[in-house]
Amino acid sequence: MAFVTLHNVTYQYPLTQSPALQEINLKINEGEFLAVVGPNGAGKSTLCYALAGFVPHFFKGELTGEITVDGKKSSEATLDEWVMNVGLAFQNPFNQISGAKFTVFEELAFGLENIGIPREEMKVRVEEAMALTGIRELADRSPYSLSGGQQQRVALTSILVMKPKLLVLDEPTSQMDPIGTREVFSVVRKMAEEGMTVVMVEHKVEWIANFADRVMALKDGRMVLEGKPNEVLTSDMLAENGFGISRYTSTAREAKKRGLWKKENLPVTLDEAVEGFAK
Amino acid sequence: MNLNRSFFVPVNSPLHNLNPLTKLALVFSMILPAFLSLPQLAPFLAIPILIAVFIGRVQKQYFNLLLKLVLPTILFMFVMQSLFLPGGETVILNLGIFDVTRESMQSAFYTVSRIFVMISSFAILLLTTHPSELMSDLTRRGLPGQFAYVIISTLQILPQMQAKAQTIIAAQRSRGLDTESSFRKRIGSLVPLVGPLVFGSLVEVEERAIAIEARGFTSKRVKTSLHEIPDPAFDKILRGILVILVIASFTLNLWLS
Amino acid sequence: MEVISQNAVYFAVVAVIMILLFAWAYFTKRIQKDFITMTWVLIPVAIAINLTIGQIVLVLKLPVYLDSIGTVLVGVICGPWAGALTGALSNIIAGIILDPGWFPWFPVAAAIGATAGVMANIGYFKNWWKVVVTGFVIAIVATVVGTPISIAIFGGISASGSSIITAFLLETGRSLVGAVLTTNFIAEPLDKIATSLLAFAIIDGLSARYLSRFPRGENAAVEKGQKQTQMIIALVVVVLLILFGIFILPSLTAG
Repeated sequence: MAFVTLHNVTYQYPLTQSPALQEINLKINEGEFLAVVGPNGAGKSTLCYALAGFVPHFFKGELTGEITVDGKKSSEATLDEWVMNVGLAFQNPFNQISGAKFTVFEELAFGLENIGIPREEMKVRVEEAMALTGIRELADRSPYSLSGGQQQRVALTSILVMKPKLLVLDEPTSQMDPIGTREVFSVVRKMAEEGMTVVMVEHKVEWIANFADRVMALKDGRMVLEGKPNEVLTSDMLAENGFGISRYTSTAREAKKRGLWKKENLPVTLDEAVEGFAK
Repeated sequence: MNLNRSFFVPVNSPLHNLNPLTKLALVFSMILPAFLSLPQLAPFLAIPILIAVFIGRVQKQYFNLLLKLVLPTILFMFVMQSLFLPGGETVILNLGIFDVTRESMQSAFYTVSRIFVMISSFAILLLTTHPSELMSDLTRRGLPGQFAYVIISTLQILPQMQAKAQTIIAAQRSRGLDTESSFRKRIGSLVPLVGPLVFGSLVEVEERAIAIEARGFTSKRVKTSLHEIPDPAFDKILRGILVILVIASFTLNLWLS
Repeated sequence: MEVISQNAVYFAVVAVIMILLFAWAYFTKRIQKDFITMTWVLIPVAIAINLTIGQIVLVLKLPVYLDSIGTVLVGVICGPWAGALTGALSNIIAGIILDPGWFPWFPVAAAIGATAGVMANIGYFKNWWKVVVTGFVIAIVATVVGTPISIAIFGGISASGSSIITAFLLETGRSLVGAVLTTNFIAEPLDKIATSLLAFAIIDGLSARYLSRFPRGENAAVEKGQKQTQMIIALVVVVLLILFGIFILPSLTAG
C-alpha cells in the first residue's frame, strides 16, 4: 500500500468562490521523491498545506475526500499529532524563523524542545542536521542576521532535524544561488534514499529532471499530468498551458520542428540537450 | 531609540551565576519592602543595590543607565513633588502660590527613593541575566512556553520594527517633513509613516503561526530545554532567606505602626 | 500612610475580581479557544506596534501617547484575556528594553486590552461612532486603574507633563485622589479615542479572510453604512464627551 494517498481530495478556502484543489487522486510510495509543478495559483501551496495537515485544520474551510499518510487519516488526527510525521517548509524563509530563539543552534532545537526530545539527543540531532545541510558555521549567529538563502537553509534544517516521515517543501530554494540549490536537491535526494518520502514544489525544472523520481503537474487546482520527470516536463501540454519549462526543452522543440533535433524525446537539462544535438 | 536587544552584559560574576529565579527573588525582596514597608526604609535599600552592582561587575553600564534614564526622571519628579505636594509647616522656599516645605521635600525624597529602588533592582536583574536564560528557567518551573515565546519574540521583532521606523522617519525628514512643523502636518505625516509598517508586520503573522505549528508549538508533550540552568542548594537557601526577610520587614512595619 | 492602606484594599479587590473572572473563563474553556497559535504570534507583533508607534509619536511631538494601538487590536480580534496579556507584557517588555519606569503601569495597560475586548464582544467595535464610545470607556477604565498606581508608586505626581494639572488642582484645595483622578480624566479620553480609532482603521484595512483566522475575528466585522454620517456622529460624540470631562467631572470629584 502506498505511503501517502490522496483520494478525491477537493478543498475550498473559507470566504472564497471556487475550490483551490479539485478531485486530486494521488499515491506516493515510501522513499519516493515527488516534484510538483504548476503556474501561479494552480493550488501547489494548498496541496502542501493539505499534506501537512494545515488544510483544513488551520485554514478551516471544507475538505472532501481523504488524505492518508502512513495509514493515518488526516481528518481523524489533530494538527499537533499530524506534524509529528509530516514536516513542512515553505517559500518565505523570514517568516519561518520562530523568533523564540537568539541563535541558529537554538532555533534548530526549538522544534525538538516542543516535542520533548531529551537534551543530549537534541544536541546530537541538531549537529547532524547542520552537517547535512552545511550550516555548521552559522550555529552561533542570530537567525535574523542571515541572508535569504542562509535563512532558507535554516528553515529546511529546522524541519529535517525533526525527522518527519513525509517531508513537504514549498519552493525551498527560491532565494538560493545555483550552488545552494544543488546542495538542497542533493540533501533531499539523500533523505529520500534513506526512506523519507518527499513532496517538493519547485519551478527549477532542470533540477527536478536530475533529482526527482516523479513529477505531477497542477493547473487550476486539478492534476493535469503525472509521470516520469522527462515525460511530464517535456510534454507539449505544459508548454501550451503556461507552465515554466526548461529553455533546453523549448530550444529542442523549435529545433525538432525544423528537423534539427533527431531524438524522439525532448531534453530538460543541459547534458541531455548537448547529447541530443551531438547526434 | 534603543536598538539593543537587551541590557545584558556578558561578563562572569557571582551575580551572573545565580539562578535567574533567585535574582528575581532578590528584585522583589527589594521592591516589596520599599513600597509596602515604612517609607524611611527605601533610601537605605540603595546600599544593597550598590553592593549588587559591584558584585555583578556591571557598574559601568549601570551608572550609564542611571545617568541617562533614571536620574533625569527622578530629579524632575523630586522637583515637581517638592513644589506641588500640598501641606507642611516649615516653608523653605516660596514661589508665588507654591510653597516648598520641609515636609513636602521629605515626602518627595521617599517617593523618589522607592522609584530608584524599583528601577535599579530591575536594571541589575536585566544587566546580569540573559533574557533567554530567564525565560527557559521560568518555563522549566511551569510558566507556559508560550509566554517565553512572546517575550523573546518581541525582543527580536521590536528592534527590527524600530529600525524600519527610523528609516521611514529619516526618509520623511529628507522630504521636508519637520517635527517642528504644524500640528496638522504632523498628524498627516503619521499615517503614511505607520501604515506600511503595521500592515507589513501583521501579514507575516499567519505564515509564522504555520511555521511554528509545523515545529510542534502546540504539541501536548512535556517540553524539554536545550540549555541546562543550574539551581544549586545555595540558591534555594538564599531564596528561603529572602522570603523570611520580606516577611520580617512587613512584621516590623505592622509592629511599629 | 492612609492613602497607601486605601490602595492596598483597592488592589486586593481588583485582584479578587480578576482571579474570579479568570477562573470563570478558564473553566468555561473560552480562554483556551482564545489562545490559539495565531494569538500567540500576533501578541509580539502587537507589542512591537505599541512601542514603535509610541516612539514615533514622541518624535513627532503629538499631544497623545498612542502606545496601546496593538493592545486594543488584540483585545478586539483575540478577546479580552489576550488583550489584557498584550497590555501587561507590553509594559513589562518596555520596562526590559526601554525604561524600567514602565513596569508599574502594567495593570493599566492590561485593563485597556481587556476593556477593548469586552466592548468588542458586545458589538462596540463595528463602526466609527461605536469605536469612539469604546475609546471613551477605555479611558474611564484606564483612569480608574491608573489613579491608585499613580498615587501609590509616584505619590500622585510623576514626571509626565500632565502632572502640572494635578499640581494646580492640589493648590485649589482638592484631595490628592480627586486631583489625580481629574487629571487622568482630562488627559486620557483624547488619547484612548484616538488609539481606538487607529486600531479600527487598521482592522478596516485587513481582509476578512485574514481576520477570520483569529479567535474573535467576527468582532471586527465592520458594519456597512454611510461613513461620512458616522464620522459626524463620532465627532459630535467626542466633543460632548470632552465637554463632559471638563465641566462635570471636576465638580463631582471636588472636595
